[in-house]
Amino acid sequence: MSVYTVTKAPQANTSEQDSGLKYAMVHDENLCIGCNACEDACREVNHVPYGVTRVKIERSGPFGEYPDQSYRFIRHSCQHCEAAPCVKVCPTGAAYIDKETGIVAVNEDRCVGCQYCIAACPYQIRFINPETKVADKCDFCQQTQLSEGLQPACVLACPTNALVFGNLKDPDSALVKTLKSKPTYREKVDLGTRPKLFHVRTIDGEIVL
Amino acid sequence: MSAFHFDGLVWHWPIAIYLFLAGLSAGAVFFAIMLKHFKLADKAYLSPFVQAAAVIAPVAVCAGLGILVMDLTKPLAFWKILVFYNPSSVMSMGVLVLLAYQVVLFAWIGSVFSSPIQQWLKQRLPLLSKLLALLARHEDVITGVLVILSLSLGAYTGFLLSALIGFPLLNNPVLPLLFLISGLSSGAAATLLGGVLMRGNPNGVEVRFIHRIEIPMILVEIMLLFTFFVGLILSGGQSEVAALNAIGEGFWGWIFWGGVVGVGLTLPLAFNLWMKVSSDRKFAYVAVTASFSLIGVLLLRNFILYTGQMTGV
Repeated sequence: MSVYTVTKAPQANTSEQDSGLKYAMVHDENLCIGCNACEDACREVNHVPYGVTRVKIERSGPFGEYPDQSYRFIRHSCQHCEAAPCVKVCPTGAAYIDKETGIVAVNEDRCVGCQYCIAACPYQIRFINPETKVADKCDFCQQTQLSEGLQPACVLACPTNALVFGNLKDPDSALVKTLKSKPTYREKVDLGTRPKLFHVRTIDGEIVL
Repeated sequence: MSAFHFDGLVWHWPIAIYLFLAGLSAGAVFFAIMLKHFKLADKAYLSPFVQAAAVIAPVAVCAGLGILVMDLTKPLAFWKILVFYNPSSVMSMGVLVLLAYQVVLFAWIGSVFSSPIQQWLKQRLPLLSKLLALLARHEDVITGVLVILSLSLGAYTGFLLSALIGFPLLNNPVLPLLFLISGLSSGAAATLLGGVLMRGNPNGVEVRFIHRIEIPMILVEIMLLFTFFVGLILSGGQSEVAALNAIGEGFWGWIFWGGVVGVGLTLPLAFNLWMKVSSDRKFAYVAVTASFSLIGVLLLRNFILYTGQMTGV
């Protein structure tokens, strides 16, 4: 037996029991029209103060010659990494991965605001909530929508169904079907964070070398 | 985008001062221990340099921690860091080291200065007197543990930054070593400066001893700095871009070449070499050399902290 076979996958999660639940999200850049309904819905449902946001749609472009012009819309929000750098560096365990759902969550009581998680997040999506003084970010609406059996606010608000949210471990879910039918990419996979926010790259966007 | 305000900046200059003070404290204690062990033996408590280190080390580490607590968004919740621990977090383990370091630091000061303190007490406070006697009896153990803790503290500030995987300039294996060595040299400088200010002999055995170590230490620091940036440049990609942005033109490039390399390393090295050949050391030489080293290390901390955070991948 080779020694390599007993080596664990790097930073694989070692949870013993399988809850059969692991949430993930797909953002289809081809369907997204950059209307920001997701951002507004998130702000309202999760009481996110103005000046900060849990989700941001970044627009680039236009590409092409008038009248055949298009934009690219990229979603910036928590990637819910399997090997989350923020969870690893948090000194108090305030940043943690919910074993049940795979959601990267924040325990507000434990956070002291050292901002190590904000510096550690390679996606730069964490922020200090100016009202609670606590590190804040997207939690897939775990405390608001999911607890009532609803889909995340951004998903429900999206007029073009550019967002698909669901259980990665359910092969019949719309999420897995989307992932299997469309080519997707994830940001900064080379850092080994294994993010669970998938993107479908826009067809019309520019090509960057 | 300016030198002190840019997107992605999380930790500002107070953190750089904390990193500076923690390293300085560790270095001062390290050199006080070396002085006592190799040169002064039982008379160490009479040396103004050891006395200076015994004041500088606790004041610096406490001031640094004070700055750190004030920099939290919830300063009153700082005690939660002391209660909850996360073994995968460098900061969490650093808090443990800092706690142990402070306890052992005070124990060491008590043991080294036990005889003058006992004299001053004159049988008052018998409990404190007994405690001091106990500390003095175990001085060798306390000293050994403190050496390890001071080196851990010196390296910890580097590990704290190198754990940030999104910044190629910070996520660098040489950084903890660079911080350790520069922290030690800042501690040596602070001990020298404090010692001569407390009327220590600028031509004394302590200054000669520390200066002899300082020359190779500056050379090692230059080598580490060189390895740090050449390593980044040879890694290519974003690491190379980050390194060349930091030490190229612009505000931080000036700080690096003029402040860190010029004032912080080249001048102290030149002064040290010159003092080695000239037989007589004077107050001004020692004080100026030490001040330059201190300025250099403080600038290095700021330089690394700011340019590091500029370079998110």
